[in-house]
Amino acid sequence: MDGPPPSAGGTNVEGEAPQIEPTIETEEASITDDAELERTLGLPGGLAIGIGTMIGAGIFVFPGLAAGRAGPAAAASFAVGALVALLVALPASELATAMPRSGGGYYFISRGLGTLTGTVVGLSLWFGLVFATAFYLVGFGYYGVDTLAELGLAVEEALVIPLALLFGAGFTVLNVTGTENAAKLQNGIVALLLSILVCFLSYGGLDAAGLVGEPAAPERFAPFGAMPVFTTSALVFTSYLGFAQVATVAGEMRDPGRNLPLAMVGSVLIVGVLYVATIFVATSAFGSEQLSRFGETAMVEVGRHYLGAAGAFAIVFGGLLATMSSANASVLSTSRAIYAVSKDALLPRRASRINLRYGTPHVALGMAGGPILVLTATGRVELLAEVASFLHLIMYGLVCVALLALRRNEPEWYDPDFRVPGHPVVPAFGAVASFALIGFMQPASQFVGIGIMIATAGWYFYYARDVTLKGAL
Amino acid sequence: MTRVLVPLAILEGESASAGLTTLLEPMNVTVLGYHELPEQTPPDQARLQYEERATDALEGLATEFGAADGTADYRLVFTHDRTQTFDRVAAETKADVYAIPGTAAPIDRLLVALTGDVAVERIVSFVGELVCDRDIGVTLFLATDDESAGRELLDTAALPLAGRGIDVRTELAVDELPLEALVDAAVGHGAIVVGERAPSLRTLVFGEEAERIAAESVGPVLVVRHVEEGAGANGNRTRSDDS
Repeated sequence: MDGPPPSAGGTNVEGEAPQIEPTIETEEASITDDAELERTLGLPGGLAIGIGTMIGAGIFVFPGLAAGRAGPAAAASFAVGALVALLVALPASELATAMPRSGGGYYFISRGLGTLTGTVVGLSLWFGLVFATAFYLVGFGYYGVDTLAELGLAVEEALVIPLALLFGAGFTVLNVTGTENAAKLQNGIVALLLSILVCFLSYGGLDAAGLVGEPAAPERFAPFGAMPVFTTSALVFTSYLGFAQVATVAGEMRDPGRNLPLAMVGSVLIVGVLYVATIFVATSAFGSEQLSRFGETAMVEVGRHYLGAAGAFAIVFGGLLATMSSANASVLSTSRAIYAVSKDALLPRRASRINLRYGTPHVALGMAGGPILVLTATGRVELLAEVASFLHLIMYGLVCVALLALRRNEPEWYDPDFRVPGHPVVPAFGAVASFALIGFMQPASQFVGIGIMIATAGWYFYYARDVTLKGAL
Repeated sequence: MTRVLVPLAILEGESASAGLTTLLEPMNVTVLGYHELPEQTPPDQARLQYEERATDALEGLATEFGAADGTADYRLVFTHDRTQTFDRVAAETKADVYAIPGTAAPIDRLLVALTGDVAVERIVSFVGELVCDRDIGVTLFLATDDESAGRELLDTAALPLAGRGIDVRTELAVDELPLEALVDAAVGHGAIVVGERAPSLRTLVFGEEAERIAAESVGPVLVVRHVEEGAGANGNRTRSDDS
């Protein structure tokens, strides 16, 4: 294409070198020396991946927790989260169109900033997704218990974790044995969720505006001041993890120059608007104090408030689907993250073995499923969510830094179809905002996150110190 | 020369029978080795692990189809959606015909189905080119409700083939279910040639109909692709000029 890029070199402790072959990208296939990889995903598929991963946990698990912390300003917290996500989605889109390969954020960072940052981000992403999945599963457990309650079965909260574990194990097994038509199912779920939320929002919005129903007593927008708005943003940012997952399937997307930016930016915008509106409606239905007492399934009470039993049932059902779809999408992303680093010899190659019978990466799926179950067992919703956000935010910040680095010294091969508007302000803001959000987290989450990063850096020095990836396409 | 695309699920051990390789000798052949993956597996991951094995197998197959004489080549594709892959590769290689491999002993007679709204002229000219001057007989088959028009069509189609010295017979099925009649007629024929009806080969090659024909006749089925009037080799999807 545009002259030979610098090649990768070096080997890891086991003598494996990164597997990088020259690839020609067309709109419909990636062509390597001997084989072609079909691009089969269209724009709807990309949007479904982004929306499907994001829409689950955030809107169904956080309203109660967020309202308790920030009051009605929780809506602003979600807006801040959306803004940060958008500031990252734009640079990530540019990088994805310049390097439309599978691997996503990890790929851009390892190529733009080198092996050490690549290893830290790649392995942290694995753990970040594991934490996120555990969080989704716990959310699923709460909704599962609520479903049983709605069906008239008296069950205890103690069932939340066992239920979450059961489904976590189920997803892993399902993904190992192959999920034919999973994408179609996922698209259906996303469409159903969107319609449930839109119906709910339209009615709730009318009510909140005082047009139908009884007027509610107005509440101070930010009763606890500005600081909680930002700490709440840090907590709920988990709701936006997912837009960058679109970049991990960049190698499978048709016409990536057009579809990747649209899918990433579009899914952030759609989801962000929905979140902000939902929180606004939820805090209008009840006072934020009462909302926070409802806990993880506060949305069910909001549904009941507006539409009675049917509303409650719709939200319970939606919550089940949403947490399920998020959890499943994340299990898959985790196995892709493991594949990306093992291809680059940062993990043993056998981690990405495919089982010819099912055609699935059983080792990587196991490396996702095992730790997910352990973390799910802890049941610590806020900690799981924040650590997941922490590890993702590091990656998002570094994606912006990688863009700045690449643009400053544009290599010959760098030819993105989409360029960030407002460069360098947008990526610079994206980096600052991502790192700043981390500062608003609870100390416990920060310690766990930093611990994981130190451990991954240690792994780099032990295992893959000699591998070079910078600029190796 | 017409190019025939032979898609084979290479890692599942699908291969071409001796009968098919002999039959396609006069043609240019592209062996399309493909491996279809479930959605959760990135195609590149499978390539990393299986490219070498698949390439070895494909090289052997391409040799059987005459790679040494330059009339055959191969491509290897990892995909989530094989029909999309077939469409794309057929358009890129300008292949007019697909083969569903089947199993076949040496073929001495072809059944050529002209039923339905198919491009009779293109099918007949392909058959002429395929048979060449070999000792292979051709049965033209048509299922229709209109006996006289059907007879006329068959006779017109048989003319150029007979003119090339080919042993042509015709068979007309009136008021019968087209598919059943075709499968019945297939007895005693080594391979079947059909025309693709809809704009996409999906409906015929891998739809119920083609699968039944292929399954019930056992032998190879050659599908002459549908080409839209005035369009190039591909008419079923908009594509950019540079791909």
